[in-house]
Amino acid sequence: MAGVEKRFVEALSKKFEEDPKGKVMKHVGMGIEQSERKMEFKKWGDKITKERGISGYDPMLHLGGIPLGQRVLMPYKPSTTETYCEGDDLHFVNNAAMQQFWDDIRRTTIVGLDTAHNVLERRLGKEVTPETINEYMHIINHAMPGAAVVQEHMVETHPGLVDDCYVKVFTGDDELADEIEDQYLIDINKLFPEDQAKQLKEAIGKSLWQAVHIPTTVVRTCDGGTTKRWSAMQISMAMIDAYHLCAGEAAVADFAYAAKHAAALDMASILPARRARGPNEPGGLQFGLLGDIIQANRIHPDDPARASLEVVAAGVMLYDQIWLGSYMSGGVGFTQYATAAYTDDILDDFTYYGVDYINKKYGGIAEAPATMDTVLDVGTEVTLYALEQYDDYPTLLEDHFGGSQRAGVGAAGTAISCSLATGHAQAGLSGWYLHMLLHKEKHGRLGFYGYDLQDQCGSTNTFSIRGDEGEPLELRGPNYPNYAMNVGHQGEYAGISAAAHYAVGDGYVLNPLVKVAFADPSLKFDYSRVREEYAKGALREFSPAGERSLIIPAK
Amino acid sequence: MAEYKKQYYPGKSKISENRKNLLDPEYELEKQREVSDEDVALILGHRAPGEAYKSVHPPLEEMQEPDCPIRELVEPTEGAKAGDRVRYTQFTDSMYFAPATPYVRAWMMHNRYRGVDTGTLSGRWIVEARERDVEQMTKDLLESEVYEPALCSMRGATVHGHSLRLLENGLMFDMLRRTELGEDGNVYYVKNQIGEPLDKKISVGKPLTEDERKEKTTIFRKDGIGIRSDEEVVQFVQRIHRSRSMAGYQLKI
Repeated sequence: MAGVEKRFVEALSKKFEEDPKGKVMKHVGMGIEQSERKMEFKKWGDKITKERGISGYDPMLHLGGIPLGQRVLMPYKPSTTETYCEGDDLHFVNNAAMQQFWDDIRRTTIVGLDTAHNVLERRLGKEVTPETINEYMHIINHAMPGAAVVQEHMVETHPGLVDDCYVKVFTGDDELADEIEDQYLIDINKLFPEDQAKQLKEAIGKSLWQAVHIPTTVVRTCDGGTTKRWSAMQISMAMIDAYHLCAGEAAVADFAYAAKHAAALDMASILPARRARGPNEPGGLQFGLLGDIIQANRIHPDDPARASLEVVAAGVMLYDQIWLGSYMSGGVGFTQYATAAYTDDILDDFTYYGVDYINKKYGGIAEAPATMDTVLDVGTEVTLYALEQYDDYPTLLEDHFGGSQRAGVGAAGTAISCSLATGHAQAGLSGWYLHMLLHKEKHGRLGFYGYDLQDQCGSTNTFSIRGDEGEPLELRGPNYPNYAMNVGHQGEYAGISAAAHYAVGDGYVLNPLVKVAFADPSLKFDYSRVREEYAKGALREFSPAGERSLIIPAK
Repeated sequence: MAEYKKQYYPGKSKISENRKNLLDPEYELEKQREVSDEDVALILGHRAPGEAYKSVHPPLEEMQEPDCPIRELVEPTEGAKAGDRVRYTQFTDSMYFAPATPYVRAWMMHNRYRGVDTGTLSGRWIVEARERDVEQMTKDLLESEVYEPALCSMRGATVHGHSLRLLENGLMFDMLRRTELGEDGNVYYVKNQIGEPLDKKISVGKPLTEDERKEKTTIFRKDGIGIRSDEEVVQFVQRIHRSRSMAGYQLKI
């Protein structure tokens, strides 16, 4: 809106230390000396080369020996924070918070206890009470990290190496929840706003679920497919101990089956052979589910835009930096695409412009009809606003120096606005593709060949929901055919699908169990404050799990 | 029935008119400078001037290819006839009122040339073709109104610059500094497109004035001609989006 201060101006002013509207680049040819981090890298490169006798990092290898930094190596500000860091600090290899973000998802499985309790009560005639459940929780929190509860002369894991591993339970039954010891309970009533808690408890009902987090070290050494197996083995052992069972009796197989299959929930589904990944790997994590893993709508229930932007930040880091950028591609380039969506308050500015427009024109969030006319109206307005900011602020254009960055961020702001306007994820997605078509015409460019491909044909499958033609956006994921190859889309799609649900005040996007499991404040990564956590990682202030110093020589 | 007249681009603005011109093969590109064949070869960097073209197959007329109706229909390009290898030319265009944009260049190629494989990215545009065909296209592009010496640049790699503020001397940023502004006001290539130093400086003429740039540009910008002012373009895109959405699966949203 006219006269409203642009959210990105402060960051641009600090990044470039010049007038953000200035049209001339004054600082050139500085080299890596301008960057503390690059100089640190160079120092370490020299040290490593000397110590191991094999050459390593050498920043003078561009053609002609011209190093990086011929223009300003600008710092980045994780949006909504006060932190400025170097771009390098946002590569997941250099950022422990980002690593833990993914570790905490990959090492999680949610396992129902009702099946096991039915076996105990109906098949074995055992009594299950809140007391026995608490005793089981005591045992499982000993066993899950890798400790013995049944056999003699067992090797065990060092507790100091697996202190991030634990199990908690949650239920929609307030009476049962009251009987569970606080240390073992994820308390829906305390963690969620009243209306969200009500929805979640209704959806979960009287069933009882375990949120299992196996050790970070284990999933790093093995893979996400290990999570459920590790968990099921320890659950079976804990059941034997807690309910005084025979270790070999057939009923134990039922516990294992329930924990591995019947009552177990993966965070991500297995991928086909050509992608060759097991369950709980990023390529199988549905967009809607990421909206449940992220908890910002719990913290900001009245600000669905803010909550959606946290989902985007989560998604671009996971899907672009880790999944496409490393699992599928390799290299370091993907970080530049992803950071554009969660730094310098730029996407925030575009999105809140959309919110202002929606409020003014339609009288509030989720008040507009979910029609193509709404998509064309909101989508066109937010698109043109976003693109005009690049015209008005040359440093903004320079910040998003790649067309894929601009396209991803502009389309995300547009699409989230359409989701928020209508409360409909498919309308949001339609806004995304409208943005892409308009963007290409205005600038005469968009992303790179492959980037553009899915956006040229996306309008036609936006409203396709049959399995072989398309799906509701919440159910699509990184392996959706058109989405499986291109950076700068998937995380934004997660934000778009979440925005529609946050807009109407839904307690969850796709799965209430996942929503509750990741509300747990004992997790290493705080999923309600994604960008703040990234910033802590960038400042080297985030303490991750996966400690190894107990078993290696001191440095 | 009225004769169908090709409409190369929607809209009534100057930007639309410029895009129509570049896309229309009947429109003769305005020649603005002279770049010799030798200099084109030097900037491209694929072969030394005067060096024979490397070939990947014998001349077509020596190959005794089987009869084929498609071969009869399609006249080979000169490079294909000779069996040239495939090489490339690649340009970067500044967003600050350069006369071309990557998509406009790609559309141009499809309408004006044959035997081309063109690709668009945000910061560069590439075309691959038989080597002597590439040289001819490059010469056409360098000498015509599609090129602006300060705002366009041949860059094979390390293309960074299209979206950056211009340097104090008015040139588009280039980490490898392939071009420089001479004291005579002309822009000179001092390195070839991949960044290898040239033995001589090659002039590509003087930059246009700000007014001339805005007259020739094909990018919609708020500080030039904004896309909002060309309602036909916006409505045309909206129509495409609506039609694709609705016709695809006929859901009634």
